[in-house]
Parts: sequence; C-alpha cells; structure tokens
Amino acid sequence: MATNPIILLIEDDASIRRFLRASLVTQGYELIEAAAGKEGLALAASRVPDVVLLDLGLPDMEGLEVIQQLRSWSNVPIIVLSARGQERDKVANLDAGADDYLTKPFGVGELLARMRVALRKAVPAEEGKPEESYSLGKFRVDFQRRLVFRDQEEVHLTPIEYKLLSVLIKHRGKVVTHRQLLKEVWGPSYIEQNPYLRIFILNLRRKLEDDPTRPQYLLTEPGVGYRLRDD
Amino acid sequence: MADPEPVVIEQPPIEPDRSGPENLLVCLSPSPFSMPLIRATQRLAAAQQSKWFALYVETPAHDRLSPENRELVAQALYLAAKLGGQAVKVSGFRIADEILAFARENRVSKIFVGKPNARRWRRFLGLSLVDHLIWNCGAIDILVISGEAEEAEAPRAGAAGVKPPRLLKEYLLAAGGVGLCTGLGFALFPHLALRNLAMIYLLTVVVLSSWLPRGPALFSSFLSVAVFAFFFVPEYYSFVIANGEYSMTLVVMLVVSTLVSGLTARIRHQVRVARQQERQTAALYEMSQNLTAINSLEELLQVATEQISRIFDCRVGLLMPGSEDSLEIRAGHPYEDEYGKEGMVAKWVFKHGHLAGAGTETLPNVKGIYLPLIASQNVIGVLRLETGQPDRILAADSLRLLEALGSQVGLAIERENLSRQAQTARLQIEAEQLRNTLLSSVSHDLRTPLTVIAGSASSLLEGEESLDSGTKRELAQGIYEEARRLDRLVHNLLEMSRLQAGEARLNQEWYVLEEVIGSALAQLEPQMHDHPLRISLPTDLPLVQIDALLMERVVINLLENSIKYTPPGTPIEISGGIQGRELLVAIADRGPGVPAGQEEHIFEKFYQVAPGSQRGAGLGLTICRRIVEAHGGRIWAANRPEGGVIFHFTIPLQEGAPMLDKNLEELHQDHGDESDHSAD
Repeated sequence: MATNPIILLIEDDASIRRFLRASLVTQGYELIEAAAGKEGLALAASRVPDVVLLDLGLPDMEGLEVIQQLRSWSNVPIIVLSARGQERDKVANLDAGADDYLTKPFGVGELLARMRVALRKAVPAEEGKPEESYSLGKFRVDFQRRLVFRDQEEVHLTPIEYKLLSVLIKHRGKVVTHRQLLKEVWGPSYIEQNPYLRIFILNLRRKLEDDPTRPQYLLTEPGVGYRLRDD
Repeated sequence: MADPEPVVIEQPPIEPDRSGPENLLVCLSPSPFSMPLIRATQRLAAAQQSKWFALYVETPAHDRLSPENRELVAQALYLAAKLGGQAVKVSGFRIADEILAFARENRVSKIFVGKPNARRWRRFLGLSLVDHLIWNCGAIDILVISGEAEEAEAPRAGAAGVKPPRLLKEYLLAAGGVGLCTGLGFALFPHLALRNLAMIYLLTVVVLSSWLPRGPALFSSFLSVAVFAFFFVPEYYSFVIANGEYSMTLVVMLVVSTLVSGLTARIRHQVRVARQQERQTAALYEMSQNLTAINSLEELLQVATEQISRIFDCRVGLLMPGSEDSLEIRAGHPYEDEYGKEGMVAKWVFKHGHLAGAGTETLPNVKGIYLPLIASQNVIGVLRLETGQPDRILAADSLRLLEALGSQVGLAIERENLSRQAQTARLQIEAEQLRNTLLSSVSHDLRTPLTVIAGSASSLLEGEESLDSGTKRELAQGIYEEARRLDRLVHNLLEMSRLQAGEARLNQEWYVLEEVIGSALAQLEPQMHDHPLRISLPTDLPLVQIDALLMERVVINLLENSIKYTPPGTPIEISGGIQGRELLVAIADRGPGVPAGQEEHIFEKFYQVAPGSQRGAGLGLTICRRIVEAHGGRIWAANRPEGGVIFHFTIPLQEGAPMLDKNLEELHQDHGDESDHSAD
C-alpha cells in the first residue's frame, strides 16, 4: 500500500525536523529524515522518495552539491529551504536543477502548496495530450483558439504576452526564474534582458489583474523570478 | 683620486660677534672638480657637525656653457643635496659678490672654493674669483682647494668643441643684419645727417642683440661701427677719418652699442632664469593645489601620476607595496619587465630610499627612473618614470624638481593614510557605541514578541482541554504574527549591519516601481488588512535603476512604520510621479503625525517618538535613509496639514532606461514568427 507519497527531509536542525514531521505525517505523507547531505543522498538512492526537501545549511556539503549529485541520476522534485537574503543562492540552486524554494520562516500551508505542485509535476496526468483550456480565478485561456478571456470578455494579448503566459501556466504554482522565462519566451540570447521581462509582466498584469500593484495571479518572487498562483 | 688638501689662504683674527653655529659654504663651478670639493666640504662639516651649503651662481655665462657643463653643475648640486648639504642656485652677474652676500645672509664662516683657473690675463690683473673673495670677505675664511689640473681644463676643451658650428649661424645673421642696415643707409644717405644714420646702426645693434647671443651681438656692434666708418664717414670707402669730430661719433657709437648688447644679454638671461624658476614653482604649486582637493588614495595617486607625467612628458607609474613584499603598480602606466631588472631596481629604491635608474648614478642600466616616495617616517612607494626614448634622460635639474614633487606626493599619501586611519578609528568607536545601544534596544525588542510566543504556546499546552477552539486559534494566530514580526526585525538588523559595514553593494537593475511596491505589499499582507490602501501611480512611469530588494525594504519599512503608528481603519496612500530628474514616491498616513521639529530626528538610529511605548528597534527609518541615499536619492518626512505624516523619497532618473513601447515592437519583430507555441 505505497499510496502515501514519500518525502525525504534533509535538514540538520532537530527542532525543524520535529515540526515538519508533526505537520507532514498528519497530512498523510510518509517522512524519512536525514541530518546530513551524504546520508540524504544515500536515502534518496535506497528509498526513492517522491519529493526531497533540502535545507541549505548542511554541515557536510553545500546544498548546491547535493542538488547536482542528485540530479546526475534522479528527476525527483527538489524543494530548497533557504533563509532570506540568499537570493543569489536561490537562483543558483534553481538553475542547478532544484524545482522550487521556500524562504524560512515559512508556514505549513505554503509548504504543502509547494509540495502539491511538485508532486503533480512528478505524476504527469495526461501525458502527450495537450490541454484545451486553463482557467484561474477570473481569467481563462483557450489554448486551441489562442484566446484569453477575463470575466468572459476577450483580452487582447500580443504574441509575446501570450507566450509568456503560456510558459507561466506550464509551470503553474512553481517559481520560474528570470533566466528561464527569458530563455523559454525570447530565446537563449535574451537571458540577460531582465528589464524586458519586467515590462512584459507589467503589461500582462495590467491586462489580467484587478489591481496590478497588488497582483493575485502573477506573483513576484523578489530577486528570483515569477510564479503563477495555482489553486 | 687623491683627496684634495685644503689650503688655508687667509685667517683673519676671530671677531667677537661670531658666536652662532659655524656654517660652511662650497662654491660650485661647471667642472668635474666640484665633486671632490663637495665631498671635502661634507667631511669637514660632518666633523664639525655644522650645516653646509653648496652654492652655484648662475651668470649670463651659464647660457653659453655646453649642455655637458650645465649638466655638471646640476649634478654637483644634486650630489650636495644627497650628501646632506643645502644646494642653492642664485642668479647674478658678479660671482664673488653673490657668494659673499649669500655667505653673510646664512652666517657662513668658511667658504670653500676650487683653485683658480681663470685665464692668465685675468689672473695677472688680479681679477680671479679667489682674489675678489679674499679682498672682500671680511670676517669669513676662504679655503682654496686644489684639484687635478687636467680635470679643471677638461670642460673648457669640451666647450670649445661645441661652439663653432652652433654660433656660426648667429654670426652670419649678425653680419646679414648689418648688411641690410647698410643698404637702408645708402637709400637714406642723401636725406639724413650723419649722426641720424649712426642712430639707424645703433637701432640695428639693439634689435640684433635682443635675440642673438652675446658674441654675435658684440660682433654686430663692432661690425656696424666699422661699416659705418667705411661707407658713410668721409673719407668715403676708406677707414681714414677726415674730421676729428667724426672719430668722436664713432667712439661714442662703439661704446653705446657694446653697452647695449651687453645689457640686452643680461636682461635675456634674467628673463630666462625667472621663467624657469616660475615654471618649477608653478609645477610645485599646481601639484600641491591638486593634492589638497583629493578624496581618496586612489584619486590622489591618479592625479599625482598624471601631473608628473605631464610635467616631464614621460610615462609615469606609481608602485606601492602589495601582498608578499612585492611592489605593485597602483596608478599610472604599467611597464614591461623583461628580465626582472626593473622590479629589482624598484625594490632597491624602496628599500634604500635613494633615487636610481636610467640617467642616475645608481643602477642606470634599466629603462625607468625610480624615485622613492618618502613620508616622514619611511619609504611608502616608488615613482617610476620612463622617457620612452632610449637616449633621452632627465637632466639633473629635472631630477631635483622631480624629487621635490616626489616628496610632495609622499607627504600627501601619508596625510591621506593618516586621515583614513583616523576615520577608521572613529568608525570603530561609532561601531562600538552602536553595538552597545543595539544590544540594549534589541534585547528589549526581541523579548516582547518572545514573551507573546512563549506565553501563548504554554497556554495552548496547559489548557489543551479547557480552551475553546476560538481561543486556541487566537493564540496560534498571535504566535504566528509575532514570529513574522521577529523575522522582520532580525532581517532589519542584518540589513543594518550590512549597510553599516559598507558590505551592501547595490545590485542595480532596471525595475518597474509598481512591481517593487507590489512585492513589498505582498510581504506585509496580513497586517495591511486593517488599513484601506490607496495607490496612485501613473502608468507611464519610466524604469529606474535600483536594487529591488533594498528598495522593497524601504517601502516595507515605511508602510510598517505607518501601520505601527496609526489606528486601525485609517487609510494609507502610496503615490508616485516624476519631479524634475527624479522619481518622487510618497507614502502618507492619517495617524498622529510626528512631533513638530522631530521630522529629521526620526531618521536617526534608535530614535523612537515615544520611547518604549511601541515595538521596533528604531532602525527602520535609518535603514530607509541609508538605502535611499546609497541610490543617490533623498528621503524626508513632513506632517500633513490635514493630519498624519507623509514620507517622501526620490530615486534619480537615469539615461538609457528601457522604454515600454519601443522595446515591445523591436522584440515583436524579432520573434513574432515563432510565437505559435502553446502550453502542453
């Protein structure tokens, strides 16, 4: 009966492990714990977890190294737990193959939402079958007709805006770094052009959000990238 | 070479008023013999522990010296300075008078001169320098030191070898001038009296001697008298003079023209000397001016090298000790060091504090000239000059100017270092005070939320059964909010210490203000619920170059400040716009405002309007100010006439901001064709 998803927590602080154990087990996850990077890698190989929660301040290894080693043989979703003020590290970890991150201190609600997104990615439901439409809050995207509606009214998006939105929908619920967005929307030679991206996000918000200064869908991840809210 | 023996020529009885320290003076001449003379003086001065001077009197004759001989003088002065004497150059016409005047001014008791080598006829007439000195010295002793004969004669031979080809042209010019004047004389002869014709010749001599050296000038005066006598004085076309009166005219003409040519030569000499001195003074003055208006060591080194490079028309580099006892180029021109020779000379100079390198007496087989930069205590750097042409070396005169400039730079560097040390010391004291205040303030601010958290959590534990679910939820909510507050406080503290340590380097990029405000609001979400928020931002605001995370902190701190000090339910307004060349952002509330006169104080560290009554270490606004000022903007607070406080801050607008519409189109043209992807 291995229906409960297995979560591997690599974290050296015992009290954080205790709090996460309490929260996750009650939510029906099976938790395995490691206090150091090497131990974590060994457990990842032997137990094949569904999601890895990785703390960055491990005593024996850099978090980045753990990600790189793990990625050399596994596609398991990795969620990084990091402190604030480490935006460069976050970006580096995401570029190295981490799927998402959480900034300490975080609430359990946030953690569970991230894990749901990560698990959904791990189990692609309708593989090979393109989605027909996507809706979130007040807006809806019809992929076949390439149309976007807000409150049933058609919103005119430029091709680039449409593409940007599509990429965010593809990764919905998950943080997408500036680099990744620029690469997927504009191409590899534009990965340094953050200002363009900001301008397009601004335009997209003005078209989709009720109050563009307090976005409900297109969220900013300061210093890292953007995230499309996923309900 | 045998040491020269001092020979005491005259020893007048010691006068009673000679009580002060005995100073010595050595007189220099353009001869290699000056060197042993200087050494002899230095030895005696050292034995007597007295001060000594080396004096060179620059007469108009100096101009006529060959470059080699002039170089000898400069080197002698340089040697004297190096051996601890005071090298002095004065200009004048009568050497002996100048020497004696100088000696009296400087309380000199003994004058050293070389053995006379004046020409035989002058010696016969008793006109040698030594004779002059002895006649007029009064109480001062004159010591004549003999050198080796051939040494004394050598420069004269050298000088003779240079002269003829150089001056031939000038003599021809003089002859040509007189010839031209004669032509004019013939044209005017029928209309002018004889004495007026003589005036024309005099005029010619004045004009010629104003720009010819003394020899050709004298030649022109003799020639003009001869030509005038030959052509225009009866008997014509003969040197026979018909009338006694005419011979008087000729004699006067000869005397006047000779005097005039001599005088003009003197004036020219004085002008030249004055100009050279002025140039050196100007160079030193300009350097000292430039070095005082300096803010950092890097700028100082930069200015110094640039200026020295300009004065000497050389490539200049400034070396200072780097890591692992090597010298590193810190400013100016880098250089190639093929066999490591240059570096070795630089190190030698740094260690010994003496000038060395190309064109000097020490280690001349390198391309660069190396000058030690000496501060009051020790050598702090080495200045390197390279002329760029292998055969061009700096004359000793220039070396002395260079040394003067070098010591200016050395002292300026030391001054800069000292002021930096003082600054560091002051910052350390400040940091110490900050740490103390911080500890007391922070421990209070940490304890308050910790008390709430510990209390609520223990209530939850104790009253597991007695508490109703609403109370439990309330307690848990309290724990959560206080923890978030603690997190922000810790973040502010970290940010503060980073800003304080000067570590926070701005990570500036082009950002949209709207996004920064949005992201700040998202982080304050639960607290903002109590306050209706009004945001008015024009949609066409240009992008600004900011560190978004830091600017976000400014907005968060200002909003948190408003939340903290205003009653729930009162509105908070955010607005922005362009004013001049700045983006002006305002955050306003309807709270009690700031006590009048305290609008500036609230930005000070640990300032609280009502101490102890509210939470927060009083750091938020200080951090705001630091961040805004680091971006080149300003931040200030004002009470609103209708109640509440309004905070303003500015962000400078910069050239080259990516434009909204323009880029939109460009990128569409590039990629419009490949936008047919859809989500999978």
